[in-house]
Amino acid sequence: MDIRGVQIDDTFAEAFGMRGARIIITAKNQKWAREAANKMTGFATSVIACKCEAAIERELAPDQTPDGRPGISVLLFTMDSDSLPKRVIERIGQTVLTCATTACFDGLPDAVERIAIGKPLRTFGDGFQGSKVINGVRYWRLPVMEGEFLIQESFGKARGVGGGNFLILAESADAALDAAEAAVDAMAGMPGVILPFPGGIVRSGSKVGSKRYKTMIASTNDAFAPTLRAITKTSLPDGVNSVLEIVLDGLDFRSIAMAMQIGIDAACRPGVHSITAGNYGGRLGPFHFYLRKIMSGDVEDAPKEGAPA
Amino acid sequence: MSDRITLTLRAALARTIGVECISADRFADLSEQEIGALRLWDGHASVALGDVFAIRGDHSSSVTIEGDLAHLDGVGTAMRGGEIAIAGSVGSSVGAQMSGGVIRIAGSAGDDAGTAMAGGVLTISGNAGDRAGGALPSASKGMIGGEIIVRGGVGRDAGSRMRRGTLYCASAGENAGTAMIAGNIIVAGNLGDGAGLGNKRGSILALGGVRVPSTYAYACTYRPPHVSLMLLSLRARHELPVNDEHVHGLYQRYSGDLADIGKGEILEWRSK
Repeated sequence: MDIRGVQIDDTFAEAFGMRGARIIITAKNQKWAREAANKMTGFATSVIACKCEAAIERELAPDQTPDGRPGISVLLFTMDSDSLPKRVIERIGQTVLTCATTACFDGLPDAVERIAIGKPLRTFGDGFQGSKVINGVRYWRLPVMEGEFLIQESFGKARGVGGGNFLILAESADAALDAAEAAVDAMAGMPGVILPFPGGIVRSGSKVGSKRYKTMIASTNDAFAPTLRAITKTSLPDGVNSVLEIVLDGLDFRSIAMAMQIGIDAACRPGVHSITAGNYGGRLGPFHFYLRKIMSGDVEDAPKEGAPA
Repeated sequence: MSDRITLTLRAALARTIGVECISADRFADLSEQEIGALRLWDGHASVALGDVFAIRGDHSSSVTIEGDLAHLDGVGTAMRGGEIAIAGSVGSSVGAQMSGGVIRIAGSAGDDAGTAMAGGVLTISGNAGDRAGGALPSASKGMIGGEIIVRGGVGRDAGSRMRRGTLYCASAGENAGTAMIAGNIIVAGNLGDGAGLGNKRGSILALGGVRVPSTYAYACTYRPPHVSLMLLSLRARHELPVNDEHVHGLYQRYSGDLADIGKGEILEWRSK
């Protein structure tokens, strides 16, 4: 398969099950909503060291938010159920509660599984906090120096998918970056998906473990590192001098597949040799995103047998 | 089984009749004959519902009541679900102790509407009498949940001793929110004197001004974030005439009643 002269490899991206929450941050204006969201999603690129993966999902207009103010939707994912509330609580507590004019709401109101977020954070109010039940939902009002911080008591917990990916193999670093930026721009704002790495792009894709250092749980993906072409078992075709990766986390398989379809199409531009994906032979992750299938328009799939429920 | 049960008053009532048995969830299990056999209270005597109303339909939790209903007391008492539509005005204690479902009144309601209500929605297009959302005699708590939406005015002692829930009205008489434990009273227009006396943790939102009791103390002027949420939610679900200047406006916060624990508040709208 080729799209505008760019080869789409016959391979798949292998992804894992995660647990996720959608956090709606509203503020006086978009600037302050984004300030909080940027802080909240900082240092949240990979669960390998950040304990969670998070990014801005999209901007919300005032008529899309519970309190009629401009907002930002953030998605945050963890590898297990227990750590999700911990990560959400510590990040909201340090970055949204502290940010001028913000309020914080659950973005998964239909989720059956709930995690207590506003409830533990209420104790910052030192006994002066109060609650309001509005249309059957409890909110906490925390008195702060600016006025009041409002946060919903519980947030929805969803089963998500982490580690969707594709790699852009290009003739030059500039061409790789141009293609990756085009892909990120095309995927921006797609519902249910985030790109947790800086600018949505990864330059240091990793392999599991290390050949030399036993304590490392991940190390450089030498098969795709162009400077190592001559001294390692390379996966790089001739003419490829730079590779950038796009990593996607999402609330479901379809959202990621649809974003990959749009992102890969946008990345197929001059200077790009081919598009491939990272996998572990299907041994580790139950979600398989076959590139050619997705680019043929089939974005529906299901976890393979034996996937965790 | 019918889509809806319609009760039509056979003749105008000369005096009050207690119709506590008219409850939408109860009707869902009853045939027309069984509905007709339910007992109403005419003073000290009981009469069959079928003698007072013409009944159409059965086995439905949607009920319409038609006729001059101003002498019907206790419609929807302890209702747990379903829907009652009242075509005109109704007597006292409509929706008392209801815990679910919806009661819509096209006209006005008498005293004690939604007394000790625990859930559901009671909407009144006209006015309501005294003690809307209040407590049963000698009870410690008034309404403990649900919403009462009065598009007109309410009488005195609205929301007295309420513990949870929301009461919205266009105007309120004296002593609204007396001894409130918690919950919300929203008054779009005139609010009578004595609002919030004895309030513990309740919120009184005065969009049209208020004479703040002397046992309240001014705290600050700010934009309470929950007010936006609450007003937008009410506007969306009940099509209330809520202005954007109220949704995002500045409010003066008064803490009180300081003669009690003082964790309640009166929020008086000042400007957009």
